[in-house]
Amino acid sequence: MYKRRMVAFNILRGLAAIILALAVAAIFIFLASDEPFEALKQLLIAPLVSFRGETAAFNVQSLYQILALMIPTMFTGLGVCVMFSADMFNLGGEGAVMAGGFVAALIGIYLPMPAGVHPVVAVLVGALVGGLVTLIPALLRVKVGASEMVSSLMFNYVVMYIIMHYLNNVFADRSKGSTQSFPFIETVKIPQLVTGGSRLTYGFLIALVFVVITAIFMYRTRWGYQIRMIGINSNFAKYSGMSVASTLILAQFIGGLLSGMGGAIEVLGRYNTFLWKELPGYGWTGITIAILARNNPAFVPFAAFFLAYLDRGCQLMSTHSDVPSEMIAIIQASIFLFFAAEQFLSGARQKLVVKNAKDELAAMEAETAQEGK
Amino acid sequence: MSGFWSTVFNADFVFAIFRITAPILFAALGAIIAEKAGVTNIGLDGMMSISALFGTLISYWTQSWLVGVLGAVLVGMILGLMMGFFALRLRTDIILTGIAMNMLGGGGTIFLLYMFTGLRGNTSSLSSPNILIPTLNIPVLKDIPVLGSIFSGHSVLTYLAFILVFVVRFMLNRTSTGLNIRAVGENSDAARSVGISVKRVQYIALIMSGALAGFGGAFMSMYYSQSWNVGMIAGRGFIALAAEAMGRSQPVGAMFSSLIFGFAQALETRVSGIQGVSSFLVAAIPYLVTIIGLVVFVWSSRRKADKRRRQISTSDWE
Repeated sequence: MYKRRMVAFNILRGLAAIILALAVAAIFIFLASDEPFEALKQLLIAPLVSFRGETAAFNVQSLYQILALMIPTMFTGLGVCVMFSADMFNLGGEGAVMAGGFVAALIGIYLPMPAGVHPVVAVLVGALVGGLVTLIPALLRVKVGASEMVSSLMFNYVVMYIIMHYLNNVFADRSKGSTQSFPFIETVKIPQLVTGGSRLTYGFLIALVFVVITAIFMYRTRWGYQIRMIGINSNFAKYSGMSVASTLILAQFIGGLLSGMGGAIEVLGRYNTFLWKELPGYGWTGITIAILARNNPAFVPFAAFFLAYLDRGCQLMSTHSDVPSEMIAIIQASIFLFFAAEQFLSGARQKLVVKNAKDELAAMEAETAQEGK
Repeated sequence: MSGFWSTVFNADFVFAIFRITAPILFAALGAIIAEKAGVTNIGLDGMMSISALFGTLISYWTQSWLVGVLGAVLVGMILGLMMGFFALRLRTDIILTGIAMNMLGGGGTIFLLYMFTGLRGNTSSLSSPNILIPTLNIPVLKDIPVLGSIFSGHSVLTYLAFILVFVVRFMLNRTSTGLNIRAVGENSDAARSVGISVKRVQYIALIMSGALAGFGGAFMSMYYSQSWNVGMIAGRGFIALAAEAMGRSQPVGAMFSSLIFGFAQALETRVSGIQGVSSFLVAAIPYLVTIIGLVVFVWSSRRKADKRRRQISTSDWE
């Protein structure tokens, strides 16, 4: 009874945080826009419903686009879940995504392989490189004691500039006006799942498979248990004989592996050449997703869908009204702050606990009264 | 080769080091105050970006650089208060609060700029020389060769950054506010037991941290780049965190580590102009230096601590 009430309360609390964040967004839209209702309609309804004159219809192509947006962020979200579960604030997911995507692109351009094998090799190598990017800050933390947060942030920039150097000075396709690589070999491209321009690829299914794998890893294996236990109480983990250092390093490596895989699948699925000129931002979105999912991999697809929906809404809003798409940053930050707030609605929670205690007390009194008869 | 050295290392180069160090130093001092109070502020980068934007806007609206700078500082303080509200009142993790602040500093500023002015992405159309932070020619010093061209002619805020190093040091070591901040950061339970309001002290620390980020932001948009554009902070708030860690949370130590980054970044701007040098690889230098510096300093301080412990334990035997 008590447990069920608390679960219900936590769900309501999460919803309240989201609604509050959207209300903050609405206030900013009203302040910024000359046509706030049109902007809100585009943000909240248009991602799934298209309007032609008076009639509204379900927009399946737009749904595909939302699902396509989820592909990289599901991977980074899973990666952050694993890394943060170990209570390490490794922010290297961003660099891992870019490095994974770049290396996969190089394999896709310069190493001809049979169809079928090619994307698998490219994605796996991309994942491995991503893992290395998050591994280094973890090693520095465990072996030297340097803050993984600062070094991973710095490392993101180092990774970005090294990639930009190679893209501009070694691998650039000079026949094109903008900086980009040569086109990928056809065999490496990740095939589309549906027709149309949505870029919804088989990568989506792979992401869902990895949601299951990561959930099993975190909740059904010894390593996952150790990672979570270290996150909850590293002293307890240490004294009960777990190898804290190697588990921490493993968690960070897996986090980068997943992020790198996301980057590789995104690059090979969405584009024909490598053309990222800066960090793509999926690593940060992954953090928001992990917060919304409370570090539980099973909730990652839902959180990723929600953010992808808002992302698409913001894009539509900036195309069809006068509100810039960067609105998404304000919405994300507000969700982030309210959702992660432990004391948000703590008054209501307190009331719930008190009410519950009173109920139990009353039940006990009734029982003793009956026994007394 | 001698041409290389004379184009890279000269009085202008040293001047540039101080110019580039100043914003990092402001933020690093902000990082120190917050860290000392036990509330790691990783939102400095976002705070700088937001206050830089408001510095430019307010100076444009009032046509006064001074009001602009003060406005940026005030905005920084409000952001510090906001972080305090979420981290201390609602108990959002302080690191996550900082990440949210950085999100606002990224995309959020573009939105705010559009909301206030209808401009997209940068404020170069608003800038004019009279609303930029003025430079200061120091009498006598400016006429001394070499020294004059290194130390004279900096912006008012550049001098302020280096003065604040000692102000912050004094504040932390010699005032009751500073004592409270350090007590709370070192052992909040002990501080509470002697009647210090932990939350209040942490609020104050975050607000001071925000004010310093505000100075750093104003420096960037109203002097360094002469207008605001998205991405102009380019991780300086993060570099400041590294400078704080490298300087072991001491103002003077952080000043020297900030100067190291200033040196690396000044080198970057010099070397990237030379033919045959990849500007991208050079651009990575300051960040790489940060990582190396952080590792070396943490490692050496650890070894020193180990050594001390060993000495104590051997003296116990005697």
